[in-house]
Amino acid sequence: MRRIGSWVRVSVRAGLREERLVNRDFAKPVVGVGQFFAMSADAMLLMFRRPFAWRELLKQAWFVARVAILPTLLLSIPFTVMTVFITNILLVEIGAADVSGSGAALGAVTQIGPMVTVLVIAGAGATAMCADLGARTIREELDALRVMGINPVQALVVPRVLAATLVALLLSPLVTCVGLTGGFAFSVFLQHVTPGAFVGGLTLLVGLPEVVISLVKAALFGFAASLIACYKGTSVGGGPAGVGNAVNETVVFSFVALFVINLIVTAVGVKATT
Amino acid sequence: MSAAVPSTLYPRLQRARTAVTMGWNQIGTQTQFYGKTLASMWDALRYYRVELVRLIAQMSLGTGALALVGGTVVIVGFLTLSAGGLIAVQGYHSLSNIGVEALTGFVAAYLNVRLIAPLIAGIGLAATIGAGATAQLGAMRINEEIDALEVIGIRTVAYLASTRVIAGVILVIPLYSLAVVMSFVAARVGTTAVYGQSPGVYDHYFNTFLNPVDLIWSCLTAVAMAVVIMLVHTYYGFTASGGPAGVGEAVGRAVRTSLISAVFVTLAITLSLYGQSPNLNLSG
Repeated sequence: MRRIGSWVRVSVRAGLREERLVNRDFAKPVVGVGQFFAMSADAMLLMFRRPFAWRELLKQAWFVARVAILPTLLLSIPFTVMTVFITNILLVEIGAADVSGSGAALGAVTQIGPMVTVLVIAGAGATAMCADLGARTIREELDALRVMGINPVQALVVPRVLAATLVALLLSPLVTCVGLTGGFAFSVFLQHVTPGAFVGGLTLLVGLPEVVISLVKAALFGFAASLIACYKGTSVGGGPAGVGNAVNETVVFSFVALFVINLIVTAVGVKATT
Repeated sequence: MSAAVPSTLYPRLQRARTAVTMGWNQIGTQTQFYGKTLASMWDALRYYRVELVRLIAQMSLGTGALALVGGTVVIVGFLTLSAGGLIAVQGYHSLSNIGVEALTGFVAAYLNVRLIAPLIAGIGLAATIGAGATAQLGAMRINEEIDALEVIGIRTVAYLASTRVIAGVILVIPLYSLAVVMSFVAARVGTTAVYGQSPGVYDHYFNTFLNPVDLIWSCLTAVAMAVVIMLVHTYYGFTASGGPAGVGEAVGRAVRTSLISAVFVTLAITLSLYGQSPNLNLSG
């Protein structure tokens, strides 16, 4: 009996060791990706199932907006001013300073708006979200929810994802407007472009389709970044270093994901509008 | 047991005053930390060379799950690759709207060097190395490892912060070069292979307007950004407090602050470089 017991124990231990080796070498990233997609699918299914966490949605939307609003303003002004400045050098050189408005509009609506939204959503919103969820996971609050029969994905992840999508959608026009205003002030007051020509040039290259595409982009960014943040936050382990690393990985992965989304949506949008 | 505390006179005013003073003091502490870090660089180079080399190796590969996807180098390369692709897509489309799509090569040479490569390299640096440094230092602070280092007589600012700043600066140069090459390759492949412009046209305009002096300036911009980013991130990691949640919060706050300050640094350098003389000779 005893011998069999020890044999079982040894073989179990060997099996564990083998599994751990496999995990470390190959399976870990694959398992991570699989868990991420499983959680995303869960979140998307549970989005339409009652009870819906209204209170949490409002709280989270307010939280993300509060964290994101100042970085948005502080990032969109220098970004647009820089782009307007660089394009105006070029336009002045070829004697076409009057169309600097269309350059600013093209930059602000199609690229800067989404880009700054990416930076803010990934750098400010997602990090704060991941830190918050990670802290709850470390304090075993998520396990407590599960014990009480509440699905953490439904109670915590779904409202966060919806809140981030909503706030990203609302931030993108703000970025564009602030950027255009900054570009206008910079061009007119510092680079002596005629204000009428600037405003008249705004709609030369940019119309409704571009604005719609930029809004779609922003909504997708918010959705993807918050899913990544929620996954990383709920799968935290290993104390303070674990939470810090999770936030770090959230930033990196959401940047990568959002740049890819930006490229794809731009390419599709360009094809669709021509 | 507890003694009654009399309520303060004008509580709102008092609270506002405390908030202002705290903010003011925090700016002071931050500046002090930055000065100390920069001043300790010499100590770091002299006494902690081994740690410096170890940090460079660790930062270029990243830690944990980031090392599995290839580390900082791959991530920055990937970000600039997609940004260069964006130039091809958006630039080609917008230029062909007004019938001058032949100039896409010019736009790639102009915008990539002056705007995109330094910005993306800086953003990549902040997200990967910077946030990693904050997470590491924050965890050390929470576990009281930094206090332990001080107790055994190690200059913590030099050993932890200055070495990281130096490592970041050393690392940003190859990263920046990679970023430039990647954005060039992506823009060229996107324009010629995907949109079908003839490579000769693209190369002609690209080579004509590629200004080597601009490249050097843009590399220096990236270095300046690296210094600012690493300083901000080490500060927030060094002063993290409040348990595991505090580390996460510190990382988030550091990313926000460093992104904003990095963009402002780029703006200041761009304006001072090209504000006086545009350094662009289109008509020869």
